[in-house]
Amino acid sequence: MAQPQAAITQIGQARARIDGPLKVTGTARFTSDHNLPGMLYAVPVGATIAKGRVTAIDIARARQMPGVRAIMKRGDFPPMSHITPNFVEPLMADETRPPFDDDVIRYYGQYVALAVADTFEQAKAAADAVTVSYAAETPNVDPHLAAENTKVVSERGDAEKAYAGAAVTLDAQYAIAPETHNPIETHATVANWDGDELTLYETSQAVVNHRNVLADMLGLPRHKVRVIAKFIGSGFGGKLWPWSQSPLAAAASIKLGQPVKLVLSRPMMFHAVGHRPRIEQRVRLGATRDGKLVSLQHDYVNTTSILDDYEENCGEATPHMYSVPNLRVTSGLAKRNIGTPTSMRGPGAVPGLFATESAMDELAVKLGMDPLQLHLLNEPRLDEGLGVPFSSRHLKECLTLGAEKFGWSNRDPHVGAMKRDGMILGWGMAACSWLAARLDCSVSVELRQDGTARVASASQDIGTGTYTVMAQMAAEMLGIAVERVEVEIGDTKLPPGAVSGGSMLTASLVAPTEEAIAAAGKALIARLVAGENTPFSGAEPQTLAFKQGRIMAKDAQTSMPFAAALQTLQIASISGQGTGQGTFGAQRPKLSSHSFGAHFVEVTWRPEIARLRASRVVSVFDAGRILNPLAARNQIEGAIVMGIGMALLEGTEYDAASGAPINANLADYVVATNADVPALDVHFVEYPDYNLNALGARGVGEIGLAGAAAALTNAVYHATGIRVRELPLKLEDLL
Amino acid sequence: MTSLFDAAVTASDAGEGRIAIKLRVNGQEREVSIDPRMTLLDYLRDVLHLTGTKKGCDHGQCGACTIHINGRRMNSCLALAAAHAGDEITTIEGLGTPGRLHPMQAAFLENDAYQCGYCTSGQIMSAVALLSEPCGASDDDVREFMSGNICRCGAYPNIIRAIQQVRRDQQKDAAPQPAGA
Ligand code: FES
Ligand code: FES
Repeated sequence: MAQPQAAITQIGQARARIDGPLKVTGTARFTSDHNLPGMLYAVPVGATIAKGRVTAIDIARARQMPGVRAIMKRGDFPPMSHITPNFVEPLMADETRPPFDDDVIRYYGQYVALAVADTFEQAKAAADAVTVSYAAETPNVDPHLAAENTKVVSERGDAEKAYAGAAVTLDAQYAIAPETHNPIETHATVANWDGDELTLYETSQAVVNHRNVLADMLGLPRHKVRVIAKFIGSGFGGKLWPWSQSPLAAAASIKLGQPVKLVLSRPMMFHAVGHRPRIEQRVRLGATRDGKLVSLQHDYVNTTSILDDYEENCGEATPHMYSVPNLRVTSGLAKRNIGTPTSMRGPGAVPGLFATESAMDELAVKLGMDPLQLHLLNEPRLDEGLGVPFSSRHLKECLTLGAEKFGWSNRDPHVGAMKRDGMILGWGMAACSWLAARLDCSVSVELRQDGTARVASASQDIGTGTYTVMAQMAAEMLGIAVERVEVEIGDTKLPPGAVSGGSMLTASLVAPTEEAIAAAGKALIARLVAGENTPFSGAEPQTLAFKQGRIMAKDAQTSMPFAAALQTLQIASISGQGTGQGTFGAQRPKLSSHSFGAHFVEVTWRPEIARLRASRVVSVFDAGRILNPLAARNQIEGAIVMGIGMALLEGTEYDAASGAPINANLADYVVATNADVPALDVHFVEYPDYNLNALGARGVGEIGLAGAAAALTNAVYHATGIRVRELPLKLEDLL
Repeated sequence: MTSLFDAAVTASDAGEGRIAIKLRVNGQEREVSIDPRMTLLDYLRDVLHLTGTKKGCDHGQCGACTIHINGRRMNSCLALAAAHAGDEITTIEGLGTPGRLHPMQAAFLENDAYQCGYCTSGQIMSAVALLSEPCGASDDDVREFMSGNICRCGAYPNIIRAIQQVRRDQQKDAAPQPAGA
């Protein structure tokens, strides 16, 4: 039987987001947009030292201020539980210590009190009036890192020996300043305790995990906590796991018996909600004279907080990126009086690839070789780290197609040799990779008599287009228009979904959606054969199938859309649920699953006025089948924008004396604005990865940032002859 | 006046030291007594519950709170509510609704000129104001004029596409210019 036309038109179509009308009219409700009857406002008081002890908290003046309902501090509510993280439940937190747990201050901004009042203005004034006394010690926020607890992450051959014997070698060190996520929506919690159940409107990329952590921290049964996140003002990893403001708001609501809204200020976004830590990396490469890699050593260390060991997995891509027989990757940590770091867009691979792709460019210069050729020459046939084939790797095509679109063959390799309109041009390139995996994820589907369907999952849309892609998937599988699919996500009342992180959600949703639809179809078939006067009355269920939203006899032409079947049966709707198994973190995978890509960047440099601009970017990605090219290209472009920020602008600076992040605002922590971004030319080579899921889709949230900074600083070298080994680039380094 | 508004007035009357002000928001006269420290942004969000206008920094650094005051764009976090009596204030809610989009809202939708949508109200209010500002024709001109609105999702290329599309449509709609003008 011919497939209905609609069935093949939903996937791969550029389409406006189904939630778009709400977003462009200001009607999408984000966490802090929730105003509940009788709601109070809470403003935290953060420590103004980074190391020491609280000796006294004077609340007398604050408590008497107008509208103030409470000034809460340690001891004002029962102690909360520490979290022992695990990914399986999931029960993940990077900062495992609950707020107000002890009097020890380990980082600047650590919450020591909470002012609660009728209005935000009153709460803010009261928070400012709380006087905290400390026994302060000198904090350690030293940016120069010495690794503690070094461990080997990946090893093959004898990297040291091969390096010693190599004809051409490179030994270089790279550093990246701490980056702060800075989503424009600051972290917020609206907590509502009704005497029995706790509802949290939360800026969360993972509502199920948030529910689990908050319930455990507060000592509540998990089914008594509900977490809602319908719209999230992005997160980039900063909203993946819970931070202290959430249990604080919850504790205040429980204590006062009223809803409490707690919205972090922009400066607080630099204290206790994670960041990409400072990272130092050393890369040693050994190669033959004609450019074949013989040894790769990648050693890195990142800062972490005093209590928690957050490891930035910079070697994530290193073992499978290049063909090299001898390799050694090691990691280490350095404890500092800084809040706990967390995943930030492309954690590990993004900073890691800055180092390895800069090193490859440096090696190409030493070899007198085109860096593109060096990459092509060292393309591996299989994942040499895991010793298994790639599920689908088309990096060569990304490199050659990107080079062609960019006009790379016109590149004059001499430093500063290329000019346009009186400006010096620099052309640089870099390759990249990001993992492709699935997470455990459940979805329910309801098929309705009017021909519409509802898909639901406790997953989230953080701006990545999950609402739309879920509708597209279900529409495709049901042979109906996208407009006929209603999507409900962002609520722990729904079947447990996956986190919005690691670019894994889209791939994770495919199988459970299919299974849920099949289950609903099976239930429908059971009703049809049992029912009287249906076209399938009395038929053996196994002779029927549910395909493209239609019940059909396997050996006949008879078929019936689900809407008609439900009408015949006179039932309003029928439901099914599906659960997909994750692959993330699998110990012995049979295939190596990653996305790949290549960036080609042009910078313009005007030494007379010290003006450096990114002027042109061409990027090509192998990211499986693209479900919605409009949203996918947007994700990649946004990531490249962040890459421009990472290379040229972003860095959190800590004051050595106080330990305070001294540029804790959006005027001093500079992110890319519209005028920093040139035209971006993004392409996909579309090879569906059917090993990952039935649609062949991977995620595209992170891959665009990987390699972007290296491509840019490699271009800067080509323009200026100056190798930028520390991000962000400082203009004075170029003079 | 809506019931939502009545409830909000009661809540904000709870404290002391208030002043009564009259503001015109989206064509409607609003009379309320407020804390004189209250910014226009908090007044819109917390008192009127017009939450389409967002807070990203509260310091004039991000543009998420952009509204129109007498037709010109302004960061509402930098304005005290009490200082704007008699002014004509327009927020994203006054521009269009999901069923009746302003051409700029429609262009943002069509061009996917956002991701999370949090900066979007401010971007659109800036973009609409830009239409009557002396902004040059090139993409670079628009980039410059839109650089007070940060989009951390980095939807800048699509924001430019959306704005330029509206400007082109506007030009097409305008009466044909005499040759040489
Ligand atoms: S909130 Fe007003 S400019 Fe950021
Ligand atoms: S769309 Fe997310 S900040 Fe602009």
